Amino acid sequence: MINSILRYSLIAIVLILLQVLLFNNIQFSGYINPYVYIMIILLLPSVIPPWALLLVAFFTGLTVDLFSGTPGMHTSATLVAGFSRPYILRFISPRDGYESGSELSMEVYGFRWFMIYTSIVVLVHHLTLFYIEVFRFADFFRTLLRALLSSAFTIGFILLIEYYRKRR
Amino acid sequence: MRNLLNFLVRYNNLIVFLILESIAFYLLSTGNNYHNSRLVKGLNGITRGVEERVSNTTVYLRLREINSELASENSRLKNMIGKLSSGREGRVTTVRDTTFGQQYQFTSGRVINNSVNKQKNYFTLNRGTNQGIQVDMAVISSQGVAGVIVGCSQNFSRAISVLNLDFRLSARFRSNGYFGSLSWDGRNYREVTLNEIPQHVNVSLGDTIETTGYSAIFPEGTMVGTVSSLKKTGSDFYKITIRLSTDFKKLSYIDIVGNLKKTEQTVLENSYQ
Repeated sequence: MINSILRYSLIAIVLILLQVLLFNNIQFSGYINPYVYIMIILLLPSVIPPWALLLVAFFTGLTVDLFSGTPGMHTSATLVAGFSRPYILRFISPRDGYESGSELSMEVYGFRWFMIYTSIVVLVHHLTLFYIEVFRFADFFRTLLRALLSSAFTIGFILLIEYYRKRR
Repeated sequence: MRNLLNFLVRYNNLIVFLILESIAFYLLSTGNNYHNSRLVKGLNGITRGVEERVSNTTVYLRLREINSELASENSRLKNMIGKLSSGREGRVTTVRDTTFGQQYQFTSGRVINNSVNKQKNYFTLNRGTNQGIQVDMAVISSQGVAGVIVGCSQNFSRAISVLNLDFRLSARFRSNGYFGSLSWDGRNYREVTLNEIPQHVNVSLGDTIETTGYSAIFPEGTMVGTVSSLKKTGSDFYKITIRLSTDFKKLSYIDIVGNLKKTEQTVLENSYQ
């Protein structure tokens, strides 16, 4: 228990540092802004109670907000992702259900399942985030395009990180 | 009572979610406003330390480029001094007044955090109230306009970038003086649009756009950019796209401009509204 909490804290710190120091500085034409820190929400075990998941989401978003100078933006989007995660998990549950002790990784549930899971959560998070950022429905389709392009890159980076984590 | 408890147990996740989400929206509505700087007051914490370190590294990697920019600015200023002093040679003037004719005061500083990829971009400077910086001062780079200070802590200040959907600037043509309102449409970080220029005005590609000084924030005649495309729309106005002379991706050394006569101007303007 203590061991896994330590492990998740380490993963969270590494991901937030990656986001703040590396991915926040990829400024590619304003259309592609990958937000990889959402992986913290993805990797939490399936048995975590929803309120704890929401608290983790809140503090993750708040930390990223503090570093990017956008109070509330990432917090609200990450909360929406955290809130919807139990429903998404129920929706795409594998045939034998989830093993209570294991983490939600590519290693345990396979590439196909992990990719679908990642894509849905990332899309929910990014769509919320980009519409909250603009906060208006003018340029609706341009915001949609930005969200979709960024989601594609985020999903790519998360799969890449997860792939290397699996090999280790 | 029992029903209420049942309800709370059943929907406790939704309740936690709504409470946390409302905190987030509270932060969103108070922290992001144009002139609200509640969060800026706490700027001295850990995040600034990390940002300053990152900025130190990136600036070091770009020293050669920064050097050449500063050198070219130096030579431009020397040319100006040359022009000014040539007319005064041989004349003796004594000036008792220490603020003789001076309207703008410049403080140099460095950008330690910046972004161009959001819709509402802000940047952070390593100068604050201890160095005499106040809210509503202008920020200009050696190439042109950059932003306006919206919040100060003791040693840092936060400025709204030209690349922000909420930013407005009064700008005019250097050649004929027609002025309009300048704003960013959130698409390209090199381009802004100039509105309210009527179609009878003679406009051509490459025309220089500069600030008007009407707002008493930017000094009159500060470079903004050049016209890169213009379209006649159905209305009476042109749709003019301007290529910014400042490259916001490379913004590092800037000047913060305070207007010494600003209070005088605004007090006068407000009393005759």
